[in-house]
Amino acid sequence: MRSLQSHPLKFTVLLALVWAFVLVLPTMVVASGSGADVTQHSKSAYTGGPPQLENAKGEACIRPSDWMRRNHMDFLKHRRAQTVREGLRIRSESLIKCAECHQSREKFCDQCHNYVGVAPDCFECHSYPK
Amino acid sequence: MLSNFTAIEGRSFGYWKLVTFFAVLILMGAGAFVAVEIHGHGITGMNNKIAWGVPHVFAISMLVMASGALNLGSMSTVFAVKQFKQFGRFSAFLAIALLIGGLAVLMLDLGRPDRLLLTMMHMNFTSMFTLNVFLYSGFIIICFLYLWSMFEYQQYTKVIGSAAFMWRVILTTGTGSIFGVLHAREVFHSALTAPTFVALSLSSGTAISIILLVTTFKHTKRRLDDIVVFGLRNALIFFTLLVAYLLVVEKFTKFYSPAFYDVQNWILTGPYSWLYLLGVWGAAILIPLGILFHPSRGNSVKGVLWASISAVIGTFALVAHILLAGQAYPLNMFPGYEVSSVFLDGVTATYTPTSVEYILGFGGIAVAGIIYLLGIKFFRMLPDKAVAPEGYELPWNP
Amino acid sequence: MTMDRRTVLGLGGVATAGVVLAPGMTLIAAPPPDKTEASSDQRWAMLIDVNKCDSNCTACTKACRQENNVPLFGDPNRDIHWIRKLEIRDKEHRRPSVSLPVMCNHCENPPCAHVCPTQATFIRKDGIVLVDKHRCIGCRYCMLACPYKARSLVYHETSRNEDSNPEVPIRAKGVVEKCNFCVHLVDDGKQPACVQACRNEGKHAMIFGDLNDPQSEISVKIRTVKTQTIRADLGLKPHVHYEGL
Repeated sequence: MRSLQSHPLKFTVLLALVWAFVLVLPTMVVASGSGADVTQHSKSAYTGGPPQLENAKGEACIRPSDWMRRNHMDFLKHRRAQTVREGLRIRSESLIKCAECHQSREKFCDQCHNYVGVAPDCFECHSYPK
Repeated sequence: MLSNFTAIEGRSFGYWKLVTFFAVLILMGAGAFVAVEIHGHGITGMNNKIAWGVPHVFAISMLVMASGALNLGSMSTVFAVKQFKQFGRFSAFLAIALLIGGLAVLMLDLGRPDRLLLTMMHMNFTSMFTLNVFLYSGFIIICFLYLWSMFEYQQYTKVIGSAAFMWRVILTTGTGSIFGVLHAREVFHSALTAPTFVALSLSSGTAISIILLVTTFKHTKRRLDDIVVFGLRNALIFFTLLVAYLLVVEKFTKFYSPAFYDVQNWILTGPYSWLYLLGVWGAAILIPLGILFHPSRGNSVKGVLWASISAVIGTFALVAHILLAGQAYPLNMFPGYEVSSVFLDGVTATYTPTSVEYILGFGGIAVAGIIYLLGIKFFRMLPDKAVAPEGYELPWNP
Repeated sequence: MTMDRRTVLGLGGVATAGVVLAPGMTLIAAPPPDKTEASSDQRWAMLIDVNKCDSNCTACTKACRQENNVPLFGDPNRDIHWIRKLEIRDKEHRRPSVSLPVMCNHCENPPCAHVCPTQATFIRKDGIVLVDKHRCIGCRYCMLACPYKARSLVYHETSRNEDSNPEVPIRAKGVVEKCNFCVHLVDDGKQPACVQACRNEGKHAMIFGDLNDPQSEISVKIRTVKTQTIRADLGLKPHVHYEGL
């Protein structure tokens, strides 16, 4: 310890590390806690093989399919914020319209989500339209 | 004149026993947090009337004590009280330790702690909470700089110490204003709530410093002159009287306003009167003053120690009274009318804390404790002997 | 794709203009336009005639629970009440007691929104005070700030059953909840569930409408009869008005 105390730089670094640890610890616990939550709630566990998407009913999606594949999460999140906070409601593009073509959440949304291991928690409160 | 700073040895069985004890408490606190996270706040005793419970009492008491712990440093740096200069490092470090412990409890009690970062992304500057986010994180940084300057760059100590002193006054005002600004709550809505918190932080910070200094110096077999402790005793007397003064002024004003008769009578005679009379007036004010003014007990370190312990308990009691009684008192939605409903309107709220809340709170204390214990082992926080400057005499003794 | 978007926006513009051109009528008019947005042209408010409110009647609170999936946990300390019936009586017992429903007052100066650290609680342009449950961190400061006890934390997990309303989410554990004036119905040009239930019960004690529209029923009534708000002295400018209090 003697040598440590005579080195101001070491001292500073060590002090910073201790604080970083203390500040990070709760965050880590939070992360692990919510992680446990996610696995607990995911309805159908991934069973292997590439995702098998059910064919959609309608003619075409409200946006080009490849764009949707890449951006639907941001699109939905942005719309969510607009709807909640600005009251924007576009009925031709509402979630009810999604369900008219993609009738089963299990055979559509969950397929990829399980495959890539993400668990959005939208439908813990909202119900997927029937 | 004054001694060198050295780290404590920290190899004894007792030291590691204490560290282990705190570590176990922290683990239990983490367990309580995970349990609340999984099962929801349903496993706590909190409800829709008492939305802030025991964890908040622990957290806010520790935040108040944290700003008060900086007292010894401020007294030496800003007010040039020479015999406290040797505790400057201890003081700034203890402030950081207590603040981190308190904040940990506050954050881990959120309904959705996983969304904590949203407070950084969507700030609302009319919220006392958002302002406190800046005040608390700024306080940690400024205390760190203060500590650093005391270690390495003493030419800056005066500047940073003065800034830290101003910051801590604003910080405690912010903490008190969390309650003081809420118009709907008659028990604590008052412009005096924030100053009372400042006074309380001064008294409790001095008290916790006395407790830690006396016990640490005793167990590390270092010399701590009685006169230094008695200097702190005089400060504690003054700060305790300040708290009492503010409490009296607040009551005095409210008893001149008939609109407050109901709530004031409820405070003095209602279901939480024991907390007010025994906790606030007893433990926080009268018992410490009684001991400290006593000709023999006030002149013994042991007596000062017990008075400090009582003052710290009283601090928890005052915060608990403001929080719990403040929420339990029914909202006065129709002044002059009796109200009843299925939502228990017009009825004093009931609250039975459960063990998870206490475990979470003690976990926070343990975080502060372990930071303190490791800090004094690894850094030169404490003087190897604490003596008063030569020719120093106390202006007053009981 | 850009074209599509523009067309949609254009149509939306026309539709919004339609809303503005025919104020007051929109509440009864059948299918809403494709795109609607909250606008400061409206100021939604409620007027409750206490004289018409019966102390045994709980139609409004029942309808609210049904519409918004608000559960009862069987613990009076933790049950969630978006709207509740209150009995009030003067302390000297000189007059008979009065029964009235109390809910979120959708204040113009809402203390809950002032204290919310994440702006999860906010005022929409049309005056409805909402909780963004995706953003609420569950700190409960708003519950201390609200003078009307309009807010509840969801203490327990809730679940859907066959009676649940599929159009409305169930209550999310760990966040704070309150009345939202049935915003999903209002945006569709309908009336909040409690108002509908009160009318179906034949009481007609509750009126909901746009205060910015001088022709709306609520505006006319507020101009002509003596109304009050709860704790007007706090300066919050509540928008649930009471007649005959």
